[in-house]
Amino acid sequence: MPLGGLKGITKSLWIAVSVVLLVIGVGAGYAIGTSIAPVKETITVARTITQAVEQTVTVTIAPTVAPQYTLYYISHGGPGDPWWAPVIKGAELAGKLLGVKVVYLGPEKFSVKWLVDTLQSAVAAKPDGIIITITDYRALDEPLRRVIAQGIPVLAVNVYDPRPEDQRIPYLGYIGQEEYQAGYQLAKYTITWFQRNMGRLPTGAVIGIHEVGHVGLELRAKGIQDAFKEAGLAIPEKLDITTDVTKAYEILKSYVTTRRGIEVIFTLGPLGAHPAMQLVRDLNLVGKLFVSTVDLDDKIISGIRDGAVIAAVSQQPFAQGFLPVVYMYLYVRFGIMPPSQIPTGPTIIDKSLVDLVLKQIRETGGA
Amino acid sequence: MSILISRHQKIFGIRELYVVFSIVVMTILFGYINPRFFSGEALYSILTLATELGIIALGVSFLMIAGEFDLSVGSVYAFSGLITIWALNSGLSYPASLFLSLLFAIAIGLVNGIVTVYGRIPSFIATLGMMWLLRGLLLAITGGFPVGLERLPPEMIIYTYQVIGDLKASSLWFIALILILQIMLNNTPYGNKAQAVGGAPGVARALGVRVERVKIGAFVISSLCAALAGQVAVARFKIVEPTAGQGLELEAIAASVLGGTSLAGGIGSIVGAALGALLVGVIRVGLIFAGAPAYWYIGFIGFLLIIVGIMSIRRRR
Repeated sequence: MPLGGLKGITKSLWIAVSVVLLVIGVGAGYAIGTSIAPVKETITVARTITQAVEQTVTVTIAPTVAPQYTLYYISHGGPGDPWWAPVIKGAELAGKLLGVKVVYLGPEKFSVKWLVDTLQSAVAAKPDGIIITITDYRALDEPLRRVIAQGIPVLAVNVYDPRPEDQRIPYLGYIGQEEYQAGYQLAKYTITWFQRNMGRLPTGAVIGIHEVGHVGLELRAKGIQDAFKEAGLAIPEKLDITTDVTKAYEILKSYVTTRRGIEVIFTLGPLGAHPAMQLVRDLNLVGKLFVSTVDLDDKIISGIRDGAVIAAVSQQPFAQGFLPVVYMYLYVRFGIMPPSQIPTGPTIIDKSLVDLVLKQIRETGGA
Repeated sequence: MSILISRHQKIFGIRELYVVFSIVVMTILFGYINPRFFSGEALYSILTLATELGIIALGVSFLMIAGEFDLSVGSVYAFSGLITIWALNSGLSYPASLFLSLLFAIAIGLVNGIVTVYGRIPSFIATLGMMWLLRGLLLAITGGFPVGLERLPPEMIIYTYQVIGDLKASSLWFIALILILQIMLNNTPYGNKAQAVGGAPGVARALGVRVERVKIGAFVISSLCAALAGQVAVARFKIVEPTAGQGLELEAIAASVLGGTSLAGGIGSIVGAALGALLVGVIRVGLIFAGAPAYWYIGFIGFLLIIVGIMSIRRRR
């Protein structure tokens, strides 16, 4: 293509425009979200101050002005999933209070490849600590062992390595819920609730699973089934209700209306609980057909209030954001080892705890 | 036909300059934000990312130059990985497993090509259908669970061997593939025909090129590249999740377009597609180094695509 004349000028113009736009794009984005350049300078200052404080053994309680440490929080939950919003909020607040720069990274779409790739890139940036969900221990095993061998501390959150202690990835500790226990405790509570309020055991139950194959959800379902088995009751069947609430409603409706004696619908998250509660109300079966669910939001709380929901399990997501930052800070700053397991749930929420939980939802955006 | 091609070849150089320029600008910017971006680790991380996307982008680019699209590459990537894991878990050797998964890719490429060319369906629709069909099969067969490799065969070290630092052997395979496809596109009669078929199918047909065969061949190349990227992923992650590779098809098209490949066919280069994938890698890793939330990545790629799109329209005028 000839470069002379008007064409050449137009081309140069476009190159210039694209450079300017690129610079503006990168610069603006960088300025809005992170303002790292000034931080870089202040990190050195902060470190010097810290060293001085250490030498004179004086403890200053005033919050640190500039981030002293950088932590990467790498999770399989992206910003599109409302459950993770309180987690992000918790991590950010802890970072602010402690003067720690927390970078939260989550994919647009669930992807193990994304998680491993992002871990690799984050490690190259040499952070002071990594907080990560062990979404697939097979894929993360080798990369995480390498990270730990490099001396970068790692904390697991939300999903842990389920293998025995001697085989598992040697992370410092795990902060989150035990998924199997969440289902097991919920089912045990539901059975006891029936004995206490109805004077008998439930005659039948069903489990609505909204993401078949999601290891966490499958473990919750297994916990429910085991609790029923232990109580000598018929093992509840698993129904694939999909993440589409309209489909979930119809699938559950046809199941409970064609099976006899179904008294409890177990759901494993709000995506199942919402259509199940709607169904109980639409069929005018409040007080006869009940929902018991994992995870909480304001709709589920209203269900607990009006009796459509017996109980919900909360794993307190805000704590899953806040606590790992605190524990990592304690470890990096003072050498304090976190406990190997720090549970944030399961906590059974029934009518008696509704007001307390409402405060949590109001303050943190979830429970 | 030769006039047609020599005109395109001149354009390649200029088109590639844009992406090289973007890579340089981005690297300087991210390095300014976080000087650690200039480290070897960052470079290896970028190359690892660029390799898997790039191998797919090479095939997609080749097909786009021949005037067609392939949206099924993400599904082929996951499915071929699954076939490899199944074959290995059932006791077959790695060469046999590789053969089976490549055979599968060839079959899918042939089906895509035949349906598009003889069924006279736009490749966008034919491969969209294939993408969903394979994804549905993947989900149905695995029940939604990830499938793991029981033991990693020693031969798979040809992808994961660390040449220097964290630089993996797969990146060298990527470079080899760039050379092979670039030579194939520019220095073989088939490559010349592929460019002619994409740029001016009517003229090519009049000159005696068997347009259908050339296009079907390009579909097979695209599918094979996706299957090869699947092998690299299996060696690295030791699992295949049923949702693996979702969205990769669009990322590969984006990398090709960023590298100067025209959506209208006939124009583009293999080196350009590889550089496009490298640019995508630089942005992805750079944003992490900058400490920006990772979801900005999509916005960045979108922004660049719009600019490149505008520039290519202007050039054509």
